[in-house]
Amino acid sequence: MAVKTSAMMDKVRASRVWRSVFRAGTGDSTLHRALAIQQSIFLHLFSTKVRKRMVKFSATWYLGTLTFGTFLILVITGVLLMLYYHPSVPQAYADMKDLQFVVSSGLFLRNLHRWSAQLMVFLVFAHMFKVFYRGAYRTPREFNWVVGVVLLVITLLLSYTGYLLPWDQLAFWAITVGSNLSSAVPLVGNKIHFLLLGGNQVNANALLRFYVLHCVVLPLAAMLFIAIHFWRIRKDGGLYVQGTEPKPQQNNETVNTAAEVK
Amino acid sequence: MHPIRRYLSSAWQALFGDAVRAFGVVSAVLLLALAIAPAKNQFAQWHQYQRRYLSLIHDRGDAVTLRRRFQPGIHQTWLPELGVVDRCTTCHLGLNEAGLGDVSQQPFRKHPAIPHSLDGFGCVICHGGQGPATTVAEAHHSERAGEEPILPARYIESGCGQCHQNALPGTPQLNLGRAMLTRYGCVRCHAITRPDGTRVMATDHPPSLVHIADKTTREWIYSWLKDPQAYAESTTMPNYKLSDADARDLSAYLMSSSTPREGDTALAATKAGSSADLAAGPSLYGQSFCASCHAVQNAAGNLVGGDVGPELTRIGNKAKPEWLAAWLANPRVYDATTLMPHYRFTAQQVATLTTFLQAKSDSDYGTGVHLDAPIPAQVAHGKRLIVELGCAACHEINGVQKPENFAPDLSTIGSKPLAQIVFLPGMEVSLPSYIVAKIRQPRAFGASVKMPQFALTAPQADALTTALLSLTNRSRSMPDTLRVAATVETNYQPAGHAGKLINELACFSCHRINGRGGDMAPDLTWEGSSVQRQWLIDFLRNPNTLRPSLIRRMPRFNLSDSENKELTEYILAVYQSPAVDADAVPDPSHSPDVVEHGKQLFYSKYACQSCHIANDKTDKGYIGPTLTQVGSRLTAAWIYSWLKNPQALRPGTTEPNQNMSDEDARALAAFLMSLKGQGAHGAKL
Repeated sequence: MAVKTSAMMDKVRASRVWRSVFRAGTGDSTLHRALAIQQSIFLHLFSTKVRKRMVKFSATWYLGTLTFGTFLILVITGVLLMLYYHPSVPQAYADMKDLQFVVSSGLFLRNLHRWSAQLMVFLVFAHMFKVFYRGAYRTPREFNWVVGVVLLVITLLLSYTGYLLPWDQLAFWAITVGSNLSSAVPLVGNKIHFLLLGGNQVNANALLRFYVLHCVVLPLAAMLFIAIHFWRIRKDGGLYVQGTEPKPQQNNETVNTAAEVK
Repeated sequence: MHPIRRYLSSAWQALFGDAVRAFGVVSAVLLLALAIAPAKNQFAQWHQYQRRYLSLIHDRGDAVTLRRRFQPGIHQTWLPELGVVDRCTTCHLGLNEAGLGDVSQQPFRKHPAIPHSLDGFGCVICHGGQGPATTVAEAHHSERAGEEPILPARYIESGCGQCHQNALPGTPQLNLGRAMLTRYGCVRCHAITRPDGTRVMATDHPPSLVHIADKTTREWIYSWLKDPQAYAESTTMPNYKLSDADARDLSAYLMSSSTPREGDTALAATKAGSSADLAAGPSLYGQSFCASCHAVQNAAGNLVGGDVGPELTRIGNKAKPEWLAAWLANPRVYDATTLMPHYRFTAQQVATLTTFLQAKSDSDYGTGVHLDAPIPAQVAHGKRLIVELGCAACHEINGVQKPENFAPDLSTIGSKPLAQIVFLPGMEVSLPSYIVAKIRQPRAFGASVKMPQFALTAPQADALTTALLSLTNRSRSMPDTLRVAATVETNYQPAGHAGKLINELACFSCHRINGRGGDMAPDLTWEGSSVQRQWLIDFLRNPNTLRPSLIRRMPRFNLSDSENKELTEYILAVYQSPAVDADAVPDPSHSPDVVEHGKQLFYSKYACQSCHIANDKTDKGYIGPTLTQVGSRLTAAWIYSWLKNPQALRPGTTEPNQNMSDEDARALAAFLMSLKGQGAHGAKL
């Protein structure tokens, strides 16, 4: 049975249609496997070769992957929620009540989005602790750590902007308090506050701004930085596994990342 | 290896042993999780209620009709202009089913008959609750995210008050509550603005205290401040729970700030010589209809009399005799805006009434109050207390400004978020229970609360709560077309010398003219069109009642002939209705045929005798005024216009509009004009 299936898959892979879509052909050779990775727009971000010890659970606890998984869930449920949501006053609140009470599985959708968001923030922190305490931020991965910090900020902003969208009392006051923090910035504090809310208090403009930030600007920024983050893993020598890295460079030597990787 | 560990390890192997197996198990778990959401939909609460409804109607005779009208699924009343999305009818399926009158089981009970269609306004506008919700807990009780829980049924009239700013016959509790807001001085401290922007104005008349020392003693003020209800049970003055020292200092300031009123002592001096007729006291009190406005506690402890003026049970303890005499002689000298009429009493009558009223006292009242002469520090403290307690919000007091916005604005109290309320331990967490508790025991909410203790019964507190709960945000955001405006008191002022006379006699205390005045006596706006000159002169000289079911209440003012004439001419000239056309009137001298025809119409076609008495030997109608002398009272033009359309002349009158033909109205008017009573005008005396 298993032989039959794999033979059939081989046949499909060899077909003209398959080859027109996936440029790399089939075959057991290392070359073909490497090509399958390298020639896919999604997979070419990753290393064509990965060492077994790098993908063991103990190496990373899969925290980065799990974070990315919650991000995917958030994108999918978020798009579905957008089908029912108007970012306008007071319709936003009514839409949320509709999701809760009359949309089929609407409550499930909302809860999934909410809990995934909470989980994502938690996982981002866990991931960063793991990276920090295992020393994976060190040369040559400093820049990827910086990208990670940017992603942390984006995650927190996504969480914050999403908080206003239900347009209930909790949302209103949380954002009122939160946005007032920005007024404390010296000299330009009030300007930032005005820019953030599109006015002097939380109102329809603030709701629209937060909606655009939450659903367009921040997710796109997150995707861009996630792509860079993944690509840098390959460029920085793959996933970090403690105790298997080359000895740290001497201080007087220049770092040659390219030489290290190849 | 430990057995548990071994067991866990083998379980792990069995589930996630190799990649394919792990993938299968994870997929199965995911599918299960995804199946829970649609399953929860299927077993939703409203599904169960709809199934129960179907089994309820299953065995009924009208099952076929009911089942045809039943539609499965979520129902909603959607009224965008009101912001209503009510899904209550998803479970409350019998609301509009006339056939389910016998079902008492909720949620399937039929809605009681109300003047509005249920689909026109939805449920939440009156009942509160969370309309969009489809579970019982969320729809009825949720409040944690600022939703509004269901309103207890005893405050349901507050729903009406959101649109209807005027008094409705079907909402006695709301009407009482609103009247109390203006009568108990609530709106003198708390501002209440109606949705149309007008202020709710107070209708009580708290006495000015600028000449208080002329009127009473410091000891009485002290006892009164300590417990106003001990002096007069019915007073609206609240109890400030003052300490002995505070009451002492307050009374000291009031006495020291009082300025003497020249007229008082002067008048008193002139009257002092007259001797009182002790036996005539009660009858003079009765003849003057003092009890129409003032109440007195009788031997059984019940209050007898009106509530326009203060209760007089212990007036002898309060008023100084010389002040009382001056007041009775002319109350406007002491208080120019008083509701009390200026009776033209003779000096002897004043002395008689003064003695009679002075005897109304309680020898136990105020005994044991001994106040030493105040020191300046006490007087100063008294003034500070007056400012702190806001006494000047109601009373005029020398040296103290009337405070503005003394207490919180209550214009939207009915929508106050629960998150902004500090509840007492053990209290039910709901807005009505908070308002009731605050009204009944304001000081229970902390020592710093300034609001005094009002003497209210439980129904009164509920009525006030109902009126306050109607002041919602929704009542302000509603479309203007839905709003029924309040009848706001005009500031109509009659002109000239007669106008001054009308003010002196305090006609507005009982009568309404051009939208100003009380509702105890008939509206006089069109009085000039309606009555005959001679009747009016006689009536003012010696008033009588027109309706057999009413006690006579119009007092005799002892007007001089010239005053009487002046008032009569003014009323006849000014209070004319444009709707009554004196030219369209039949000639008063009619042929007996027409009168006879009118009489037949009266007794047979229109059966007027069911409410009116035209012949006091045969007729028994007690609803409307007696008509035996109507021919010498009303004008023919008025009777004719009245018969044609009573509501045009007096909106809301119970007289039915019979759509009479001109001919019938003429004949009836002729008949009624022929009813002159026995003898001439003087017969009514």
